[in-house]
Amino acid sequence: MTATETDEESHRGTPPPTPRRVRRTIASIVSVIGELLITAGLVLGLFVAYSLWWTNVLADREAHKQSDQVRQHWAASGPKGPGALDTKDGIGFLHVPAMDNGEVLVKKGTSSEVLNEGVAGYYTKPVKSALPQDKKGNFTLAAHRDGHGAKFHNIDKLKDGDPIVFETKDTWYVYKVFATLPETSKYNVDVLNKLPKESGKHKAGRYITLTTCTPVYTSTYRYIVWGELERTEKVDADRTPPEELR
Amino acid sequence: MYGWIWRHLPGNTWVKALISLVLVLAVVFVLFQYVFPWAEPLLPFNDVTVDQGMAAVR
Repeated sequence: MTATETDEESHRGTPPPTPRRVRRTIASIVSVIGELLITAGLVLGLFVAYSLWWTNVLADREAHKQSDQVRQHWAASGPKGPGALDTKDGIGFLHVPAMDNGEVLVKKGTSSEVLNEGVAGYYTKPVKSALPQDKKGNFTLAAHRDGHGAKFHNIDKLKDGDPIVFETKDTWYVYKVFATLPETSKYNVDVLNKLPKESGKHKAGRYITLTTCTPVYTSTYRYIVWGELERTEKVDADRTPPEELR
Repeated sequence: MYGWIWRHLPGNTWVKALISLVLVLAVVFVLFQYVFPWAEPLLPFNDVTVDQGMAAVR
């Protein structure tokens, strides 16, 4: 206190800016910068909450709504011949017991508008996906690892031999995982090929490919899981799931 | 900055606190509803598909 008083006294009469005023100006600039930095930190924290929590809330709500629509649609239209697919509402449900995430609605396309609804999408480009009922081909899917429903969050829990079941209106398609690629370039579109050579297969067959990003919370690389169709089952009147899902 | 806002809010301390709370909630709402959805696709955290580097034009 005494220091400032003498300061004041000694500079009384000198023209502004006094050192005291200069010091006050600097202090207030520093405090505004500090407040802005704290604000930036809070906004980044909120962004994390948004990405990892709020997008899940929104996406799960949307996915439930759309799934209910598809189920109602199926129930209302009654049993029809094979391939009775409605690609507008979604073509069916993916069940992966190892991922422990219930059923995942599958829709056409892998744009972020589709995937952000908390569903899995089948590729239309760069390599067009086959559909499960096709005689030969690769049914290729993508879904979010984190946020927006995080439907493939537990993709790393899938081991060789684990079942992947795809449910359409009239058929259960039971696939078995035979290969995984824990890290590959995001430009590696060959994994979507009709015959994905990197999986170790050399003959065309009925394959399924799951793709998502890795490591978790980022998307530096892609995580790939391949499965091969083991058998199909007709859906009965009660929609009894195949034994893999019981 | 925040001190300046606080000083310029009307009313006594309780009214000021209430207005501050409303302002904070409004900012959070705008962030969640408009700013973050806009910013998210621009950040490289959530691209899940393999493509030929055409992500921008998808």
